[in-house]
Amino acid sequence: MEQFKKKFLEEATELIANLEQALLSLDENPQDKSLHEEVFRIMHSLKGGSSMFGFDKIDAFTHELESIYDLVRNQKIELKRNILDITLESVDHIKILLESGDELSAENEKNHSNLLNKIYKITKSVSGDIITEKEEIEKHDDKNDNVIHNQLSDKPTYQISINPDENIFKNGTNPLYLIDELASLGHCKVFAKTNKIPEFDELKPELCYVSWEVFLSTDKSIDDINDVFIFVDDICEIEINKIDNSNLLEITAFTNEISNVVPDDGFSELDKIKELANNVKANEVKEEEAIKDQSSQDFYSQIKKNVISNIRVASDKLDDLMNLVSELITTQASLTLYAENNQNSELVTIAENIEKISRQLRDNTFEICLIPIDTMMVRFKRLVRDLSFELDKEIQFTAEGTETELDKTIIEGLTEPIMHIFRNSIDHGIESADERIKKGKPKQGTINFKAFHSGTNVYIQIKDNGRGLDAEKIREKAISRGFISPEANLSYQELINLVFLPGFSTASKVTEVSGRGVGLDVVVKKISDIRGEVEIESQLGVGTTITIKLPLTMSIIDGLLVEIDKTSFVIPLSSVDKCFEVKTETLNNNFNNRVKLDGSLIPYINLRKEFDINENCPDVQQVIRINYDNFNVGLSVDKVIGEYQAVLKPLGRLFKDLEIVSGATILGDGSIALVLDSGKIINTFDRETLERREAYYKGIKNIEDN
Amino acid sequence: MSETQTTGTVTSYLSFRLGDEMFAADVGKVLEILELCPITKVPRSPSYMRGVINLRGKVLPVLDTRIKFGIPASEDNVDTCIVVLDVDMDGESLHLGALVDSVEEVLELGPSDIEPPPTLGSKFNPEYIYGMVKREESFTMILKVDKVFSADELAIAQEVAEKKISDVKAEGEKEESDKKTAKKPAENKKK
Repeated sequence: MEQFKKKFLEEATELIANLEQALLSLDENPQDKSLHEEVFRIMHSLKGGSSMFGFDKIDAFTHELESIYDLVRNQKIELKRNILDITLESVDHIKILLESGDELSAENEKNHSNLLNKIYKITKSVSGDIITEKEEIEKHDDKNDNVIHNQLSDKPTYQISINPDENIFKNGTNPLYLIDELASLGHCKVFAKTNKIPEFDELKPELCYVSWEVFLSTDKSIDDINDVFIFVDDICEIEINKIDNSNLLEITAFTNEISNVVPDDGFSELDKIKELANNVKANEVKEEEAIKDQSSQDFYSQIKKNVISNIRVASDKLDDLMNLVSELITTQASLTLYAENNQNSELVTIAENIEKISRQLRDNTFEICLIPIDTMMVRFKRLVRDLSFELDKEIQFTAEGTETELDKTIIEGLTEPIMHIFRNSIDHGIESADERIKKGKPKQGTINFKAFHSGTNVYIQIKDNGRGLDAEKIREKAISRGFISPEANLSYQELINLVFLPGFSTASKVTEVSGRGVGLDVVVKKISDIRGEVEIESQLGVGTTITIKLPLTMSIIDGLLVEIDKTSFVIPLSSVDKCFEVKTETLNNNFNNRVKLDGSLIPYINLRKEFDINENCPDVQQVIRINYDNFNVGLSVDKVIGEYQAVLKPLGRLFKDLEIVSGATILGDGSIALVLDSGKIINTFDRETLERREAYYKGIKNIEDN
Repeated sequence: MSETQTTGTVTSYLSFRLGDEMFAADVGKVLEILELCPITKVPRSPSYMRGVINLRGKVLPVLDTRIKFGIPASEDNVDTCIVVLDVDMDGESLHLGALVDSVEEVLELGPSDIEPPPTLGSKFNPEYIYGMVKREESFTMILKVDKVFSADELAIAQEVAEKKISDVKAEGEKEESDKKTAKKPAENKKK
C-alpha cells in the first residue's frame, strides 16, 4: 500500500503541475472551453486518486473545487480572475496537504476552512438555486439508479416456452401480442423457433409454424405470468420454469451465451440453462470485483497511457549512466590508440566499431538527459502572475522558444537564477501602472522570455520594457560603496556591468520581493557554475535585457585534438570551421596579426606566443579557422591530430580563474589534454591586444605631448 | 592534524628536501608519493603551477614547491617526487601534488621534540611553520600544510605571476593587486 501511496504522490504532483499549467493558460484565455474541461478532468483524477488512497481531506477539498469547474464548463458561471485566484491558492493548499500526508497543522486548518468557505461562496452565491436543484437531481438520479439496480438484481429469471397450436390464428389470437405482454412484465429476451416453417410453396399462410422461447426476468409472481396465457392455454403449450432468483438478463455474459445454448429446434433443456446461469454468475462476481478494481485502476490507466511513451527514471540513475558513458569513451580512446600502434587490422576494425557504437551511445545518452526549457515555464509564469498581482503591476508575460532543450543539470542550475532575474525585473524594472502612464508608456508592462540555439550555445534572453538601469544612480552607489573612484571615467556599459558586483543593489529600499542583499552577483555565480555567462543591456526608460549564454551540455564534447610543442589541446569541434597550413615565418613576421586564408584576410591568434611556448617550433604551423560570433578568427597550433571525443574533467579550484581552459581530458595514452574555450581565448587575447595597442598609442601620444 | 596543538601523543611526519632545506608534513595530510611523471603544463597559469597529471583518471594539479617557497629551482632528477596532499581549503578537501626534490623519512615526534618556529631571522614566514625539529646539525621545518597551500595564498601569487605576462595589463590591475598585497604583508615578507 505504501508503495501505491508513493506512486500516487508522484502522480498527484504531476497532476498538480499540469493543473497549474492549465490554470495559468486559463488566466490568459479564460473562455477556452477545452481548458475548462481539462481543469475539471485533472481535478477529477486528483479527487479519484486521493479518495482511493485515503487522502480524505484532499478528496473532499478537491470535490468542492471541482464543482466550481463543473459549473464553469456547463457555463453556469463565468470564469473570473477571483475564481482563478482562489483556485491557485487552493492548488497550493493541496500541495501542502500532499506533502503533509493529508494532515493539517493548526495554521493550515484555518486556511483550509477559509478556502472552503470561499469556494462555497462561489458555488452557492453565483447560482445557488441551480446548484441545489442540480445537486438534488443528481442525488435523485443516484437513488433511482440504485433502486433499479437492486430491483433488477432481485427479479427472478424465468424460462418460458410458448408452443402455439398450428391453428392459433383461427381463434384470432396473435401470439406476438402475448410476447408483448410478457415484455411489459419485465426484462425479456425472445428466441423464435423457425425450424418448422416449410418451403415457400408448401407454406399455408393461415397456420402458425413458429414457437418461442422467452427469458423473462420480472418481480411479478409466476401466477401473473400464467395470467398472460389465460386465454390461450388450451391452444398453446406453455411451460414456465424459474431458472434463477436473480436477474440473469442483466449479466451481459448470460445474454451473449444464451443464444448459443438455445437450440434452433425445440426448447432448451432447463439443466443446461441453469448450468449456464451458475457459471455466468460465478464469473459475474469476479467481474464485479474487476470493475471495482477498475475504478481504482481508472486512475492508473491514465498514467499507463503516459507510461507507454514516457518512462520516469530517477535522475541519479541518468547521472550514473552518463558517468559510465564517459568512462567508456575514455577507455575506448585507449583501445583505439592501442589498436593503431599494433598494426593488427582485425583489432583496428573492432576498435573502430566500438568507437562508432560508443559515439552513438553517447549521443543517445545526451538526448535522454536533455529536457525542454518548457519544464521551467510554469514556475516562471506563476511567479510573474503572483508577483505582479502582489505589487499591483500589470505585466504581460510572453515566452518564445521554450521547446529548446538543455541538459537537465543545466536546467536545474538555471531555474533559481532566472527566477531571481524575473523578481528583479518585476520589482525594480517594471514601473507601476500610474508611473507608466505618466511616462507615456503602455499601461501594461511586458516581460519577454526567449530561448534559442546559436552554435554550440543556448541563449536565454529576458527582456522587460521597464525603467531600465540608471547609470548615474549606479555610479553614485558604486562610489559610495567604494567600487569605483569618483573620478573614474566609465562608459554606460561599464557602469551597468557594475550591478554584477557582489553587494550591489540599486533598489533604494529593501522589499520583500527582491533586494534582500542577494544581488545579481549570485545570479552570475550560479550561471557560471554551469559554465554559462550573463550579459546585461539596458536603456534608461526603455527597458533591460539580460542574456544568459549556456553550453549545450556539460560533460562530453566533440573536439579537435591539436598539439603545441608536446602539449595536447582540444578545441571544441563545433566552433572549428577549417584548418590551413601556414608557414611559421608568415605568422611571426606579421604586424597586424592577419593572415590570408581562402582568399580573405582574417585576424589570428598565435597560441605559441600567447601561451609562452617557445621550444621546438616547426616550420609549418596549422591555423584553425574558428567561427566566433559570426567572425572568423584563426588559432595557430603546431599540429592537428584529429577529431577527439573529450570527456571533460574539471581542473579544480586552483585553476578557477583560468578562463581560457574549460577543463582537461585524459587521452588514450593516459596523458592529459587541456580543453580550450575558443570563445574565451578570442575574447581574452583580443582584449589584451587591443589594450596593448591602446597603451602603445597612449605612449606615443605622451611622448608627443612631452 | 598538524594544526592541532600539543596532544601529548606521538605524531608521524614525512620529511622531504627542497634544495638544501628540510621540511616535514603531517602524514595525515599525505595521501601518497608518486614518481615524477610527465606533467602537462597549463598555459597562463602562475609559474609555481607545474601543471596537471592524470592520477588514475582524475586531474591532479601539481605545484612546484620550490618556486612557491622561493627556493632556487634545480633540475628534476631521479629523486624528484610528487607528494599528493589532501589540503583543507575553506572547509573543502582539495587534492594536489607538491613537487619535492626528494622524500627523506618519516619522523615520529612527540610534542616535546618540536620547538616553536623562530620569530626572527627566518627566511620563512612563521605563519606557515608549525614548529622546528633539530636533527643532527640542521633544522627540519614542520609545515602547516593547509595554510601553506590554501587558496588565498595561491591567488595572490597568481596575480603576481600574471604581472610578468602582460605588463600593460598589470598597469590596470595595479591598484587592485596593490590593495590586496597590502592586506597580506606576508607575501612580501616571504619574497
